[in-house]
Amino acid sequence: MNNNQDKTRAQQEDNLIGGYGLEVCQRLVEEGRSKGLDDIEVYYQRLKSLEVVIEKNDLQLPKSDIYQGVGIRVFKNGSMGFASTNDLDENSLKLLMKQAAVMAENSPPDRNNRLPEAEKLEEVPDIYDDRAENIQLGDLIESARSFMKEIKQDDRVTVDTAGFSASIVNDAIATSRGIISQDRQTYFETQALALAREGEEVSSFDMEYQVSCFYEELDVAESGRKLRDKVLASLGADTIESFRGEILLTPFSAVTLLVRPLVFAVNSENVQNGISPWKDKSGKQVAADILTVIDDGTLPGGVGSGKFDREGLPQKRLTVIKDGHLQELFYNAYTAARAGRNSNGRAGGGAQSTPDIAPSNFMVSGGKKSRDELISEIERGLLVNRYSGSVDPVSGDFSGVVKGGQLIDRGCKVKPVREVMISGNIYQMLQKIAGLSREREDIMNFKLPYVLLEDVSITCG
Amino acid sequence: MNIKKLLKQIVIENQEWVELRYHRRNSLKLQVKNGNLTDSVSTTLSGVAVRALVDGSWGFVSTSDLTLEGLRAAAAEAVKAAREAGVLKENKIQGLAEIEPVQGSFNLAEERQDQKQEPDLGRKIKLLMEADGQVRAAGEDIIASQVSYSEFKDSKIIVTGEGVEVEIFDPKCDIGVVAYGASKNQQERAHASHGVTGSWAKLFADRKLSDLADKAVELVRKRLEAGYVSGGQYQVILDPALVGVLAHEAIGHTVEADFVESGSAVQGRIGEQVASELVTLVDEGNIADAAGRVIIDDEGTRSTRTTIIEKGILKNYLHNRESALKFETEPGGNARAFTYRDEPLIRMTNTFILPGESDLEEMIAGIEDGFFLKGMAQGGQADSTAEFMFDVLEAYQIKKGKIGKPVKGLTLSGQAFEVLKSVDAVSRDFEFGLGRGYCGKGQAAKVDAGGPYLRCRVTIGGQQ
Repeated sequence: MNNNQDKTRAQQEDNLIGGYGLEVCQRLVEEGRSKGLDDIEVYYQRLKSLEVVIEKNDLQLPKSDIYQGVGIRVFKNGSMGFASTNDLDENSLKLLMKQAAVMAENSPPDRNNRLPEAEKLEEVPDIYDDRAENIQLGDLIESARSFMKEIKQDDRVTVDTAGFSASIVNDAIATSRGIISQDRQTYFETQALALAREGEEVSSFDMEYQVSCFYEELDVAESGRKLRDKVLASLGADTIESFRGEILLTPFSAVTLLVRPLVFAVNSENVQNGISPWKDKSGKQVAADILTVIDDGTLPGGVGSGKFDREGLPQKRLTVIKDGHLQELFYNAYTAARAGRNSNGRAGGGAQSTPDIAPSNFMVSGGKKSRDELISEIERGLLVNRYSGSVDPVSGDFSGVVKGGQLIDRGCKVKPVREVMISGNIYQMLQKIAGLSREREDIMNFKLPYVLLEDVSITCG
Repeated sequence: MNIKKLLKQIVIENQEWVELRYHRRNSLKLQVKNGNLTDSVSTTLSGVAVRALVDGSWGFVSTSDLTLEGLRAAAAEAVKAAREAGVLKENKIQGLAEIEPVQGSFNLAEERQDQKQEPDLGRKIKLLMEADGQVRAAGEDIIASQVSYSEFKDSKIIVTGEGVEVEIFDPKCDIGVVAYGASKNQQERAHASHGVTGSWAKLFADRKLSDLADKAVELVRKRLEAGYVSGGQYQVILDPALVGVLAHEAIGHTVEADFVESGSAVQGRIGEQVASELVTLVDEGNIADAAGRVIIDDEGTRSTRTTIIEKGILKNYLHNRESALKFETEPGGNARAFTYRDEPLIRMTNTFILPGESDLEEMIAGIEDGFFLKGMAQGGQADSTAEFMFDVLEAYQIKKGKIGKPVKGLTLSGQAFEVLKSVDAVSRDFEFGLGRGYCGKGQAAKVDAGGPYLRCRVTIGGQQ
């Protein structure tokens, strides 16, 4: 009986792949047309995910999920409405079209509401692992085991949570403007949060993260080793005197401190609404000469890559900042219309929401020196392993606690520190980045070097 | 066959213990920015979560295939996953704490009635557009505005191996207004928000949308005129919103039994003094209208009040059924899942400090050199060590017992239990203050938190 059940589920899964999504999209576009709507966009998404979770050093939960849904955007007399559902029977889909139309009827018209015209789309290589469909929860349990083997080399270390996941994404889109396409991608992630405990002393939480479009490329044992060493290094942390000095951000801490404000500042919507600090900086210097930022959705093997964005446009390579000068903002169709230009394919989101604006693979250039060379040149400063605090993307003010921090004195890492706060203004600091490391790391869809910032206020409680 | 019958049939058919949860969410999200309706989204997300407990290990499968065959297949996969995991799992689950096999419908008749009187979609959009316009019309110093509204109407059916059979209707909604201001070379952002369990009418039962818009404008203007200060150790007054943030973020997470087992700051400290004896802190799900309201949790446990700290003594942790059995106590209804695609985790509901007997004015008058701190600005974080850092939305100097100039760029940090030990006055007031608050722990949860005004010592981070 069990075998039959497995077969039923497997067959159902098969039905979901193939051309089903695209077929639903096209059918709904036709139906929308016949209902007299001006424009229709239907976005289909199927996400199959497997995940194994470790908690408290022990295997906790194997999980399996298949989400399959569509989102419809309709346009009538300049008004737009959106509705989505994961209930895909015929009646629900009819109701969905009606609901989207009701949303549009009740919304005020906006002359910038529009769908983009079709552009040529190309497959991005190396973003789909053919073996993904064969990966079972049992394989992920095995990954979890190799990870834990490393962690357990030292019994002071506790993994709070760790997740090992496999995801298969199928997207399809059809619009009344002639866009008809589908794409697929796989990605595999390992993320873990751990702490160390020795007697009464508890270290900070620290994290380790790996991602790849290919299962074989993850090195979970390496991830376990690194995390173990990091939390052990933050045991025995001491307080220090306050000082002004340099900070070296790890790629991980740079995500919060650097990337989030950068992504906010180059979002065309924020520029148009006057809340980006770079609203009038097009072509002007916004950062030190050594900073170059590329966003490339066509990058082979990139987790943020794909054949099309949320509106069915190609996600071409963009130079966002070149030698410290602001070159390109991120646009979707709506903000592009507001700016009187074409979208550059940065519409983000899935079937459950309207398109927002998002980067694809957001890459900060590396520098000439290695991380260790950068450290060796620091007179007195702090290695910021993880940053836990706020960054106000509007003003750029940040203030927060350094986790897993290491004091650097005359070019050497001397001791782990605790309860250290750093504060300042990130946009001002960007103007004087003192160094970028040669090494870069992938964190989600970001590729980042170590970043050296000068003259930061480092205070100890 | 109706869904409840299907779920029951799967439970009956399975030799192993299974728990099935049907969860349908109809949600509406509206957002207006600078006079444009930037989001009007209606979403339906529905499906069934199957959790199996086999040989001391969990398996979890979620599916939107609601046919009998689909559910059978999902249950079989969950059982198989649990069995596979069981081979590797070291600390086998010894079982689940017993719960009352609750049966019945928790449909909140008055809520259903209220829903009928909701303004229609067009009216809601119009009111949001008006509030957004009101913000920008406040003056030239206000450069941008945003109004966001979201609502969930959740319908759930939970059926478990030991006879729980409940139907729940759970509507929640929230509203937020953001004002962006500018003067000379600076820009600032401030927000005002509110959330409830219930309908639109309940959301605006004791405040108007226009009041929230005025509040956001007032706050951003204060931030524009405010100066920076230098940091240090100070005596401060925390408002109910910040007390809520402290209770939830810095204390609440450390007492979630899963964090406790991972070695949080309160591991093994039940019965110890962890706060001033003026402090009593609780988590309580079933509070009418509160944004974090839970009547029956996602394991089918009836929600009750858990006293975490009583007069300064640590009394209880927060539990699900698994941890409650391990800690030899009863679960209080803290197992929550955000959607059918999520497994229940130990979560807070409404977490708050009980009011005391002091007068706020007198509390302020007792401070020689300190700050009056209100609300959280962008966010904050806390660790299992109970060390925390929050940035403050609205702050004033207190000099010689008098409230003085507004200041900004302040962060509040410390070790939460040390802060609670330093409490020397608790006001008579009480408010929930998380507004549109969501808690993130891998998955989201709608929560609220609050309390009275507290006087205590904290580390202030400044930017002067």
